[in-house]
Amino acid sequence: MDLILEYQGQLLAGTWVTIKLALLSLLFAVLFGLIGAWAKLSKNIVAQKIAGAYTAIVRGVPDLVLILLVFFGGQELANSIGTLTGLWDYAEISQFAAGVGTIGVVFGGYMTETFRGAILAIPKGQIEAGVACGMSRLTIFRRVIWPQMVVYALPGFSNNWLVQIKSTALVSVIGLQDVVYNGFVAGRSTRQLFTFMFAVLMIYLVLTAISDSGLRWLDKKYSKGIVRSDDG
Amino acid sequence: MSEAAGDQAALEVVDLHKSFGDVEVIRGVSMSAHKGDVISILGASGSGKSTFLRCINLLEIPTSGDVFVAGEKIRMKTNNRGLYQPEDIHQVERLRARLGMVFQSFNLWSHMTVIENVIEAPVHVLKIPKDEAIEQAEALLRKVGIFERKDYYPAQLSGGQQQRVAIARGLAMNPAVMLFDEPTSALDPELVGEVLKVMRDLADEGRTMLVVTHEMGFARDVSSEVVFLHAGKVEEQGEPRQMFTNPNSDRFRQFLSRTMQ
Repeated sequence: MDLILEYQGQLLAGTWVTIKLALLSLLFAVLFGLIGAWAKLSKNIVAQKIAGAYTAIVRGVPDLVLILLVFFGGQELANSIGTLTGLWDYAEISQFAAGVGTIGVVFGGYMTETFRGAILAIPKGQIEAGVACGMSRLTIFRRVIWPQMVVYALPGFSNNWLVQIKSTALVSVIGLQDVVYNGFVAGRSTRQLFTFMFAVLMIYLVLTAISDSGLRWLDKKYSKGIVRSDDG
Repeated sequence: MSEAAGDQAALEVVDLHKSFGDVEVIRGVSMSAHKGDVISILGASGSGKSTFLRCINLLEIPTSGDVFVAGEKIRMKTNNRGLYQPEDIHQVERLRARLGMVFQSFNLWSHMTVIENVIEAPVHVLKIPKDEAIEQAEALLRKVGIFERKDYYPAQLSGGQQQRVAIARGLAMNPAVMLFDEPTSALDPELVGEVLKVMRDLADEGRTMLVVTHEMGFARDVSSEVVFLHAGKVEEQGEPRQMFTNPNSDRFRQFLSRTMQ
């Protein structure tokens, strides 16, 4: 316990990195998910195909492979472009940006499917009723689709989010000093790996418990009028 | 084709066609409704009557033809791929707001209470102040006899109650014409009466209505005009009593004998 107190600064700093990484990549994942769902449901065939390829690739490849690919491959790519165009000599991709970008893109693929399913769960007639009242597409999205989509998406979204928080641990392999990296370093230097990894485990449990109650609050807030047990 | 001022039709449809792929479902239907008219549109299933109604507010985009709402023509154009399309979506939205629509399956927004359903479009489309919209909505809910359920969610109501809310929702837009798309077809038989009564009251107070229906009693006793569609065309139309007692066309006679036994 004393050891942990001694290293608590590093652990907390790492936790903070993990939280920032998770929240920022969630933002991107939701954004990509909404765009992806829109594209998959649009009548535009090109948009459908691109979105289809996107989800097929990111859901079919390990996150770790993509993170390594983006970080090291992206670095090489950026440097070759710099050499070719003569615009810059040497570019370095930040580990944080690579992590946020990759995790955002990967989970955007999962969110795409979750949101698509949620939108499809809204009875089409309710959207038609909005159209018939003279609502604009934006108004229909804001007033009819979004509030119901949230409810239908929440179970899948919660699942994705929990997996996503845990996936942030993968960025420690590219040297980002998140809670896993810092815990591991502290554990090795003190030869107390079990103690520190146990502390890291507890930190993750606290984070997921907090998000769980947040999600439950969201569910309560949005599930008014929705009958779950049968289709009403 | 618009009429002289003073006798302007609330709704006029001119030579409307609609195809789905190679199948032409509506083959040149014209119709006009003046203020206070109640027009019942009858026809066997597949006659195109629902499609026709849905073309009026462009839930389905017609293949050709014109629609005038209170004298204003919905401007259409043919795009570069040869598709007939609205020229200005904002005009379409504005004119849709002048047409109240009641669907077969009610289509109430399930995440909103009864009163929220009714004030939604007035507040977010017509931009009426919320307290004014609530006041108006409460009056409409009293009219359709469901005021005491105003804070219920649609899933807590019977089909007949939901349809009456849907009618109030349509009326809340203060529309030039109310469109009813088989409003009682999804209801249990014992709930049909309460919805028909509300519709009858609306007819009595001079609302302009287009009603696609299978309710022969309503068509005969309440409407001012009956239009019988067959295979996407008007087969017969006229004054209801005349048509029901002495139909001109064989097809309408057959239709009557099949539905009124």
